Amino acid sequence: MDTTKPNGATSGDANSTGPWVGRRSALKLAAGAAAAGLAGHSANAADVTLSVWTGYPELVPWYQAVGDAYARANPGTKVTVFSTTLREHEQKLAAAMPTGTGPDLFDVGQILSISFIEAGLLKPNPPEVDKQLRSGAYKDVSVDQFTTDGKTYGLPLLFSTPAMFWNKAMFREAGIAGPPDTYGEMMDDAKKLVKFDSTGKMIRSGMSLRLSGQGSGIAEKFRFVLEPAGGSLIVRTPSGKYHQGYDNEAGRAALKYYIDAVQVHHVDDPKVQHDADAFVAGNTAMLFREAWVIGEIQQKNPALEYGVYPIPAWTAGGPKKTLLQHDGLYVSGRSRNMPAAYDFMRFLTNPENSVLLTMKSGWVAARQDVDWSPLLKQTPQYEGFVTPPKDIQFYLEPVLSPWNEIESRLADQLPGAYVDPTLKDNPQKVADAVHKWAMQTDQILKDADLYGTR
Amino acid sequence: MASGAEATPLAVGVPADGMALRLRRRLRRARIPLFCYVALLPVLALFLYVRIIPIGFGFLLSFYKWNLISPRKPFVGFDNYVTLMSDENFLLALKNTTIYSFSTVALSTVLALPLAVFLSRPGRLSAFYQTVYFLPVITPLVPMSIAWKWIYDYNYGILNYGLSLVGLPAVPWLTDPDIALWALVIMGVWKVIGYNLVLFLVGIRNIPHEYLEAAALDGASDWQRFWRITLPLLKPILLYVLVTATINAYNVFTQVYVMTLGSQSAPGQAVRMLVLDIYTNGFQFFRMGYASAEAVTLTLIVLGLTVVQFGLVRNDPAKEA
Repeated sequence: MDTTKPNGATSGDANSTGPWVGRRSALKLAAGAAAAGLAGHSANAADVTLSVWTGYPELVPWYQAVGDAYARANPGTKVTVFSTTLREHEQKLAAAMPTGTGPDLFDVGQILSISFIEAGLLKPNPPEVDKQLRSGAYKDVSVDQFTTDGKTYGLPLLFSTPAMFWNKAMFREAGIAGPPDTYGEMMDDAKKLVKFDSTGKMIRSGMSLRLSGQGSGIAEKFRFVLEPAGGSLIVRTPSGKYHQGYDNEAGRAALKYYIDAVQVHHVDDPKVQHDADAFVAGNTAMLFREAWVIGEIQQKNPALEYGVYPIPAWTAGGPKKTLLQHDGLYVSGRSRNMPAAYDFMRFLTNPENSVLLTMKSGWVAARQDVDWSPLLKQTPQYEGFVTPPKDIQFYLEPVLSPWNEIESRLADQLPGAYVDPTLKDNPQKVADAVHKWAMQTDQILKDADLYGTR
Repeated sequence: MASGAEATPLAVGVPADGMALRLRRRLRRARIPLFCYVALLPVLALFLYVRIIPIGFGFLLSFYKWNLISPRKPFVGFDNYVTLMSDENFLLALKNTTIYSFSTVALSTVLALPLAVFLSRPGRLSAFYQTVYFLPVITPLVPMSIAWKWIYDYNYGILNYGLSLVGLPAVPWLTDPDIALWALVIMGVWKVIGYNLVLFLVGIRNIPHEYLEAAALDGASDWQRFWRITLPLLKPILLYVLVTATINAYNVFTQVYVMTLGSQSAPGQAVRMLVLDIYTNGFQFFRMGYASAEAVTLTLIVLGLTVVQFGLVRNDPAKEA
């Protein structure tokens, strides 16, 4: 066994011989190698190259650091990491997995993994991985999300949970005591925080909403308002079917909130800088985003005075809700190194490496039984992400294959609506727009045989 | 002839030699194309493998419902095409792409032609200007699209800075749904004008000087010489430019993709184009059959437009006679 483990005599001796190896030493090494070959298992271990694909380039340093540590602990094992943008990563996986040309291990959101499970391209977890998932180390909701028909697939890797980033200096300057607790307060604060130049051009937004571009992210951000208002993009029925859940008061209120922010109160404008770039540069006072923005601030503007606070409730005393998205680690069902891949997966998700993940990338590791104190001592802003307040309610991303299409199709419509002057102060047109989009959502569900109202 | 040849001893061998010669020539003639085909075989095989088979596969796929991952691939007949005809996104993409294509092709042709006439005259800076106009053609599209995104930026873009210098208000080039498409047209024209210019330039330089000189001697003005001689003789080039520019314009993708990425970008719906819609359906929603139906439809549209252009611009021998 010693020959297969790290820091063992084999690697140590090899290093100590330097580049010049004497005949006797060479014979010894050859004999050792032959003995290792006879050991069978040891020889296999020495031949393993684990390929890892990630859709998060910012996770590469973590994968490499943990991969190096794993390789040291398992001599001969090599870990290669390949990363692209998330969309390209999903496309590559979708093309490679059915043809058996994919990686041994990969991270991906559950919308794609459920398609792999349905197509039989992922195998249920082996007992030791299943045991880790059910050990209490993860939130119950995470265990549920990684369970299909009673079997578990993969392990939760990281959470994507938004919170409110607020600029303390701007709030102080505007005479506002602290971050808002309701969406109404948020709009009032934003009116005090927004800034215009002498020509009336907005130079700082009061809040940075997602107003332009394309893709599901626009609808995802719309949900940050819709869900606290009491709506949902889709609702699950008792029979396990789905239908739209926003052709209602909440849906109309959420759309109106966005339109009012842009056209009535002028606290945001598609023309000004947005998103994390705007917050880091001090061009907006409030932003809903995930923990990775902390890393951006540390890197680009460490002097920024900011806080992180839960996303507001719709009304005073109402529930505070936030989205909980999982990204998981999976071993390909066609991996030729399955035992080693599962072993590496467990190594990646052990408590120490989970903390390392957050420290190196800014994303919050999904594992709960970890000691966050070193991280929080270094960056207290992480507290709201790693140990969120108990009263926060999480809403999930439904694990459905057409979910991306549902969000993206809605996202196609939203930017135009936010700036459409005919929707301003026009409840009927707002209602018509929401109704039309909701019917499209139902149609997508019908096309996927997932629609039902009972 | 053969019997005559056989009459003299000298001629005795002629028919045999002649036949042999003819046979040898025939074989040689036959061997040349055979050799060509053999030599072309690897390239043809590669072309078949990377072009023809995927096109055929895409055409077949358009009659199936397939999500790329699932082994199930039910046959749905013309369902994808029927759905397409009432798909608002597809119809919007078709409208946007047509506006983009017609505008880009028309503007780039109308601007390139006078520029080519101007640059065809001998001048010290002619080569320099040709290079300048051709640079965008050889520049990779992704970095250029990112650069244009910055040029169009409302707050920091050089275009709005230029407008401010002459007292004009800043324009939300990308973020205004009514303007975003035209911002793409401007970039499209900038990208393709150099290519059209060089083609026109080659065509103009190939027009025999005698025609223009004779017209000048007859007292024809510059405009008359251009309209009556240069333009008619440029028709084949014009046809080529129109066909290739239209095909390229209908296939616009990269700049649309880049300029709609991120929060500070064009609203996706305002600049939805056909290839982007195909990409979205195929590789984001994994509706491969549906995306294939869109691709087949796009091919037919471009093919139809090409035929129309051939009909409109082709030299009519009867008229010329």
